[in-house]
Amino acid sequence: MISKFTIRRLVLVSAVLSLVSLALMIAGIVFPNPFLLVAAMSLGQLFGTTSLALYLLAIALDLQGVGEHEELGGRLGGGQQ
Amino acid sequence: MPQINTLEQLLKATALVAAAIAVLILAWYLVRRPPLNRTTKVLLLFGLGVMPIGVALTGNIAGFEYTLKRPFCGSCHVMLPYTEDAADPASTSLAAIHSRNHAFGEESCYTCHADYQMFGAMTTKLNGLKHLYFYVTEYANTGPYGEGGPKIHMYKAFQNGMCTRCHSTTAPRWLANEEHSGMIEEIRSGDAKCVDCHGGEKVHPRAFAHGGNGRGPAASTGKGE
Repeated sequence: MISKFTIRRLVLVSAVLSLVSLALMIAGIVFPNPFLLVAAMSLGQLFGTTSLALYLLAIALDLQGVGEHEELGGRLGGGQQ
Repeated sequence: MPQINTLEQLLKATALVAAAIAVLILAWYLVRRPPLNRTTKVLLLFGLGVMPIGVALTGNIAGFEYTLKRPFCGSCHVMLPYTEDAADPASTSLAAIHSRNHAFGEESCYTCHADYQMFGAMTTKLNGLKHLYFYVTEYANTGPYGEGGPKIHMYKAFQNGMCTRCHSTTAPRWLANEEHSGMIEEIRSGDAKCVDCHGGEKVHPRAFAHGGNGRGPAASTGKGE
């Protein structure tokens, strides 16, 4: 079941992946040797693309209101106690 | 502060600024963990999408530009016999003479060895990946100039087109050479190769494949130049 927590976790994973991808791409720019350039242009961009895709998925789920009923239910349940 | 004089430096600077902005946004999100409201979403879109795409685009172009340069070729130690000779102002090899020409300059390796066809840049870079594979599997543990490794050779014969794009075979001074004019049709058709007469140790004298020992004359004799 997809919840608000899942959406926040997707964004978190996306942010970490993006940092890894940026680190690879910056390494390729600052120390341009063949290995780092190949890593930046392959792994760096693979991680970056995956990260953006995960973020867009998270936003799409959030805009569809996924997990809102669960959150509302939780709040109502909390109010009754 | 480093100055920006070339397009490559400008692209690198742009990529680094975009990366710094993205890292700041992502670090802010990871440390603060703010609620996913509209402001956070827009900021994250910049940190996860717009800025990294900018880094990838500018970084790729800057990286590709750098791969055309001689220092990049020389970053694999087995290429030092070639690149050090090409950069040596005292060398009279064909590689060094061409490297001193502004039309070749820092990109002399690429200018002479890139495939001369429609997708030449692409096939050349794919071959570069093959170089990397062979470097790791066959040359990584060789001596400082590649001693002990297999002799370096080209994947396919050097084509006359590499030479004739500058040496058009029509200049009077070139035709005045009897050997040129005597076999002009064979040269133009490719039956006679330029490198049959102008190849080997005349181009890369320090290369092991052409009888060199990897080092320049001063290093070989132990005397200063």
